Amino acid sequence: MKQELARVLSNEEIMEGGHLLWLEAPGITGSGTEPGQYLMLRCGTSYDPFLRRPMSIHRVMGERLAVVFKVLGKGTTILAACKAGDSIDMLGPLGHGFHIERGSLNLLLVAGGLGVAPLTFLADEALADGCRVTLLLGTPTASWRFPQRLLPEGASVQVVTEDGSEGTRGLVSDLAAELESDFDMVCACGPAAMYKAMVDSGISASRKVQVSLETNLACGVGACLGCTVQTRLGLKQVCSDGPVFDLADLLI
Amino acid sequence: MDLTTELVSGTRGLKLKNPVMNASGTFGYGTEYSSLIDIQELGAVVTKGTTIESRAGNPQPRLKETPAGMLNSIGLQNIGVEAVIAQKAPLWATWRVPVIVNIAGSQVEDYAVLASRLSVVDGVSGLEVNISCPNVKAGGVAFGASPRMAAEVTRGVVSSTTLPVIVKLSPNVSDIVEIAVAVREAGAHVLCLVNTLRGTAIDINSRRPFLGNGMGGLSGPAIRPVALAMVYQAAKMVDIPIIGCGGIATAADALEFIMAGASAVQVGAAQFVDPSSLLRIAEGIDEFMEREGVKYLSELVGVAL
Repeated sequence: MKQELARVLSNEEIMEGGHLLWLEAPGITGSGTEPGQYLMLRCGTSYDPFLRRPMSIHRVMGERLAVVFKVLGKGTTILAACKAGDSIDMLGPLGHGFHIERGSLNLLLVAGGLGVAPLTFLADEALADGCRVTLLLGTPTASWRFPQRLLPEGASVQVVTEDGSEGTRGLVSDLAAELESDFDMVCACGPAAMYKAMVDSGISASRKVQVSLETNLACGVGACLGCTVQTRLGLKQVCSDGPVFDLADLLI
Repeated sequence: MDLTTELVSGTRGLKLKNPVMNASGTFGYGTEYSSLIDIQELGAVVTKGTTIESRAGNPQPRLKETPAGMLNSIGLQNIGVEAVIAQKAPLWATWRVPVIVNIAGSQVEDYAVLASRLSVVDGVSGLEVNISCPNVKAGGVAFGASPRMAAEVTRGVVSSTTLPVIVKLSPNVSDIVEIAVAVREAGAHVLCLVNTLRGTAIDINSRRPFLGNGMGGLSGPAIRPVALAMVYQAAKMVDIPIIGCGGIATAADALEFIMAGASAVQVGAAQFVDPSSLLRIAEGIDEFMEREGVKYLSELVGVAL
């Protein structure tokens, strides 16, 4: 875990209100990063907005890493205005990521909205390890869909939109439940409602489903206990025990 | 420059190498930030609030950002005193930095029980009595709101331990000076002002309070002038050391509290924003003293009074 002033290499608006930032962060990348881990980004240098913004690591290339985010408020508006050459104060890598069981060759990745961010990193690593990767990309409507060109090459992608404007019409959770039995492991990242829907549509409660949780965070290191969730294994911190958990351990 | 701060004298006193420590509840048990900063360089480490039995705390959500600050409603989630003694204290005993255990009870007697139990534990250098947590019904601010109750809790603790006793006061009272005087007369060695200010936020979409517990405690730079005024008022009326706490994020903030009468400071929410805050503040105080030709920190304590 490192605190580092990372230099912005590029900032691209990749979809409406959605940004892709590439940063140079030798300290953080040098600490060893795993898919599903995240960073805490300070937004500007004042105390308003106050807290850092947690963001999944989207991709890592050598000493460079990427995050993607949607502009939602004050903090992300500041980050969206960053230019190449600017610096962002980051903490990371934080938390525990996805763990691919040895012998899992066929992975199903389930993304809700920008939940695709850490799954791209996971797909990159899994493909490099010789796994087959199928990515379900769920989004309300086609215009909010993560651009094809930024998806991992070699993954088989199926788009699901709630309004049917692209790909299959429906919920990504339903398709995930339908396809699950064909895969060795399922890794998901999206809103809590998506995990609830996955459970409701009968996805297995076996050990093979891992999900990344999102809560408000303050510290990112397990100190403030602001992100505690009740699990079948007792109280857990989303920030330091997670954010990735076995779906079977969650009380959803 | 000499930043040492003697809060309590004597063999079992409380002498800090510098006046900067974390605020309880923002630093876990001291180990959580140890890969980011050298915690041995702090004035002291103050632990998460500790109760006799473990507590699960409040429902989610527990955090909400506010203008230049944040609300929390953790609800004293902790592993309980015996687990603290078994799992955490042995490591503290190997540290140079003094560890102060923050204690909270749901009845007056609990505080004395906790004090007596911790009094004999290696690695514990002091107690901070939490009579000011706004996030639990019992054990929190209820004791801190009445001078009589606050004094009763303080007496119970002081008579049950030989450790230095800090009492942390709530700002959610009509007259904090009255409480400060009562606690001092009951035998507290040090006061800490202040805990979080009660606050809340409403989610206009769900039309419900944002926090799972309905209300929480406000911290961060937003509360600093309020906390500072309370230190300023209390310092005029009590003759024991005060630890200032509330929205401190920079060395200049800390110096304001020191000049208003604080002998030391606690930094809480600011180190979520910048984990290097604690050490940066200590360095900044040192630089200020050097620039101003101040040899001993004590020369600055209360100069604005």
